[in-house]
Amino acid sequence: MKQTKLTHRRQRAVLRRIFKAARPFWWQFTLAIVMAVVLSVVNLLLPRLIQFYIDHYLRHGPILLKWIIMFIGIYLGLTIIRALLQFVQAYSFAVGAERTLESLRDRLIRHIYFLGMKFFDNTPVGEIVSRVTNDTKTLYNFWNLILNLVVAVTGLVAAFVAMYLVSPLLAWLTLGLLAVIILLVRWYQKLSVPVYQRVRASLSNLNTRLNDALGGIEIIQQFGQQHRLATDFDRENNRYFGYRNRLINFDSFLLYPIVSLMFILAETATLGYFGWHSERTMVAAGVVYAFIAYQQNFFNPLTSVMENLATFQEGIVAGDRIFTLLDRPSTQPAQGNEPLQVTAGKIEFRHVTFGYDPDKPVLKDISFTVEPGQMVALVGHTGSGKSSIINLLMRFYEFQSGQILVDGKDIRRYSLRELRHRLGLVVQEPIIFYGTVAHNIGMFTDENNRANIKQAARLVNADHFIEQLPRQYDTLLSEGGGNLSTGQRQLIAFARVMARHPRVLILDEATASIDSHTEKMITASINEMSSQQTTIAIAHRLATIRDADQILVLRDGRIVERGNHESLMAKDGYYAKMVRLQENEN
Amino acid sequence: MAILKQLRWFFRQQWRQYLGGVVALILVAICNVIPARIIGNVVDAISAHRVLFGWLMIQLGIMVGAALIQYFLRFAWQKLLYGSSYVLERQLRSRLFHHFMVMDPSFYQRWRTGDLMAHATNDVEAVREVASYGILTLADSVITGGSMIIAMGVFVSWRLTLLTLLPLPLLVLLSHHLGNKIHDAYGHAQQAFGELNNKTQESISGIKVVQSLGEEQADLADFHRYVQHALHTNLRAYFWDALFSPATTLIMGLAYIIAIGVGGWAVGQGQLSVGQLVTMITYLGELVWPLFAIGTLFNTLERGRASYDRINTLLAEQPTWLPAPQNSAVPTGDLVVKIDHFAYPDGKVDVLHDVHFTVPKGAKVGLVGPTGSGKSTLLRLLVRDFDHYQGTITIAGQDIRQLPLNDYRRRVAYVPQTNFLFSTTIDRNLRFGNPAAGDRRLRGVTAAVAMDNEIAAMPDRYQTTVGQDGTNLSGGQKQRLALGRALMKDAQLLVLDDPLSAVDAETAEQIEQHLEQAGDQSIIMATSRLSTVGQLDWLIVMEDGTITEQGRPDQLLGQPGWYRDTLREQLRRQRLEDDLNETN
Repeated sequence: MKQTKLTHRRQRAVLRRIFKAARPFWWQFTLAIVMAVVLSVVNLLLPRLIQFYIDHYLRHGPILLKWIIMFIGIYLGLTIIRALLQFVQAYSFAVGAERTLESLRDRLIRHIYFLGMKFFDNTPVGEIVSRVTNDTKTLYNFWNLILNLVVAVTGLVAAFVAMYLVSPLLAWLTLGLLAVIILLVRWYQKLSVPVYQRVRASLSNLNTRLNDALGGIEIIQQFGQQHRLATDFDRENNRYFGYRNRLINFDSFLLYPIVSLMFILAETATLGYFGWHSERTMVAAGVVYAFIAYQQNFFNPLTSVMENLATFQEGIVAGDRIFTLLDRPSTQPAQGNEPLQVTAGKIEFRHVTFGYDPDKPVLKDISFTVEPGQMVALVGHTGSGKSSIINLLMRFYEFQSGQILVDGKDIRRYSLRELRHRLGLVVQEPIIFYGTVAHNIGMFTDENNRANIKQAARLVNADHFIEQLPRQYDTLLSEGGGNLSTGQRQLIAFARVMARHPRVLILDEATASIDSHTEKMITASINEMSSQQTTIAIAHRLATIRDADQILVLRDGRIVERGNHESLMAKDGYYAKMVRLQENEN
Repeated sequence: MAILKQLRWFFRQQWRQYLGGVVALILVAICNVIPARIIGNVVDAISAHRVLFGWLMIQLGIMVGAALIQYFLRFAWQKLLYGSSYVLERQLRSRLFHHFMVMDPSFYQRWRTGDLMAHATNDVEAVREVASYGILTLADSVITGGSMIIAMGVFVSWRLTLLTLLPLPLLVLLSHHLGNKIHDAYGHAQQAFGELNNKTQESISGIKVVQSLGEEQADLADFHRYVQHALHTNLRAYFWDALFSPATTLIMGLAYIIAIGVGGWAVGQGQLSVGQLVTMITYLGELVWPLFAIGTLFNTLERGRASYDRINTLLAEQPTWLPAPQNSAVPTGDLVVKIDHFAYPDGKVDVLHDVHFTVPKGAKVGLVGPTGSGKSTLLRLLVRDFDHYQGTITIAGQDIRQLPLNDYRRRVAYVPQTNFLFSTTIDRNLRFGNPAAGDRRLRGVTAAVAMDNEIAAMPDRYQTTVGQDGTNLSGGQKQRLALGRALMKDAQLLVLDDPLSAVDAETAEQIEQHLEQAGDQSIIMATSRLSTVGQLDWLIVMEDGTITEQGRPDQLLGQPGWYRDTLREQLRRQRLEDDLNETN
């Protein structure tokens, strides 16, 4: 994934939208932040309590057991409150962030779903999936950083106030040491980022080499290059080791040891200050303890923020990708959504012209009529425009001119739901979803209508092999249907469409990937059923559409011949030649 | 702990670094004792109102000195321990790579590339964690924890120390058990994420079907269920995670309460000074981390051991190639194949049987037949992917299995059916087997495989990067480069497995003509295109794993059989196709 540099204005806009996305869960976030503030106060109260205990009771006795027990009681109470606050703060924030993330996922998929087929045809599946899953996950890390920041800032402010109340001078001094740490960390980042990038580049280089070597092992061995590649790999491995060591130098020189050094310096300053002043003014011993504890509170939250600063940038980039996708307008064709119903199943194309790019039409002036119950076949070479006709009929794409009529009414007037419910499409590559056979035929809406599912399976002759499966209709199919043959997968896809009793059956090379035995079975059942509904078929094997009422021969986006098999054969044109060519294949 | 024993060879090899690291850790722990002790001293002095300037300066000087020494010692152990762990990582990774290089095809049949990648990355990483974080936590928890407890006992009071430490074993239990619980919960969350990922993948891949069925809303609802599942497993993980620090707070709180309660009482009895009590409380805070570390240590070691076992399983595998006797040079001469039986390592059925033929030196032989007839398998035996067949393959009477594998392969050039190019430049791909080849040779070969014009048209020419991250080449271009790569090699035998199937007929014919002119180089070429094999010296027809016909092309044309039938059919089809394209 390429990391593009965003302008500051863009970054701010993205940041605003990330916060806006979290708004529905505002109370979890607010609760967490309130808890963080209260917690930072309690964190300071505990050492203050011990200070009070030391200065007022231990040093000025007499020490009574009941006072000790009372203090222990208060300390225990505060500790329990502190634990509760810690839990509520962390969990509440996690709930808010996680809910924000999951709601974004829902929103994204809902948006993507209706972007129109053009988007899916032009965008790799992996990229879309990555938007929905990985980029949103990055946002979660981003939210975590925000929590760390809130905790750190409230802790810093509270500790600073507490220190200031004891000694303004020391408080400022501690703040000064904090400034030194921040400067050092920035310096560290400046120095280490280039090295870190080299470490990452070198590691990805190593992995590419490894992957390449494993994929091309046969070639490597046949060409006797094992030794050379291993030497190359070792060289890169050494380089990686070198960069790693430099990064370790930076880390161990500047990162953690420096924070503990600063902390001890702050402690020393505190001791010196109080020790020096104890000669002139009364300094209580407990104060020294309390002050050092405040300093601990002051430095502690810092490291976790420092470590995760890189997440900020990653979160902004991921957010930008997500919102860019959410802003993308849909190319899905508009529908009139009139309460019309497809009943007879008559299809008519009138002078339809269409191009995926309007300047390059792939369908030119297409006109034909399919009467209810008729079977029409579309034939032609790859790229002749057969599939485009189906894309228009299914309303995956909008055409530029002409008219498509369903039952005599403009296709745009129907609701998409009605159209897709009545027009059943079977595509070449059968898609099997994770779930049972019954689920794959009935899908979500019809999953439990067992009688209908069985009837559909019988209709396409799929019942025989389904009965042979270990748990028949309840057999779990793996993703992609790995446990079925291609033919069986297609039979299920077929049954899926038939279970919905379509008025128009559309077959997009539906039998191309099936063995000829299964194909014959399916063709037989199609012919049997073809009087019950209108059928439009694209066929690769011409033998399967011989009985069609009408055959449309497409070439370069135009219908060049039309008629039934006999008349086209008699004509001895393009179709007849194609038929002879195919007969030769078998 | 077993993993530490397993890695003993490494610790022995790096003993200086580890010894140095551990010594530095011990010194850090000693220095660590100082600040709390000095805080206590100063507090006592303040309480007694007897702070002397000189004394205070000495105390503070010691503290700053200890801090500086600690700083450099911390630097030292981090560098020594973490640096060494990367030495281990480098060694393991290199060892795996060298091992992968010498493993035979049956190894690659059993292990998928993705798994091997995972072993060479994730598992190596987990073992490295043992050598860095594992050793650190082990040493640190023992040293720091021990020194703190001793300091508390010596400087403050043994009795109070033991009482205060009572709740702390709970910390070890907590970090071990809750740590495991959190690990498992995140494992489940990861799994739910994987399922969500698969669901998204499935929905997007099948979007056309889902939409054409009008099932959008139902599928979205299903997606929502996956999202909800991911939500709930994640929340459970966060729940356990969020429990971690409150639980620590409570356990530490108990220890503090004992310290201030019992300690306060002791101060009252005059057995303890106020300063000692402050010292005690300060030490307690320093004990949190070492005790935590013990808990996580077990998890690190456990995971490291599992990974190291997996790596060792891989490294223990041996290639099945037969070891060759020393110093037998590869002779030149006729190639005689007499294979009686061959089955793949995992299969029981013979893929080849009774394959007998001779390729005279310099002869160009074609191998034809229907798919699945065993052509590719035969070629793989010629290039010694497998050695365990019954029968012999000899060159000038010498069994090829008796020859050193690398010497033999140096004399054979092979183009497999799947054309694999490396993710690097065209130049490097072509020179792959012969990095020292001259430019003139390179140009000659590029012209021979008819790639010269296409490469000249690319913006970076020979420096164009191909493969995963590079320019997309067509299947035909890849095939021609793969063939070119083989031709760059000085081989006496060229083994080609349908090298031009994706190249158009005209270009293929041109390339094949060039191949046929290659002087004393013997060629065995499997091909599915019969129109061009007529020029070859000899044809072998394979069906069902054995030879059904062989002879000169014109001889075979004169007798009934697969070759004559298929050739005629292909020619007729060609004519019809030409005819179809001329229509209109």
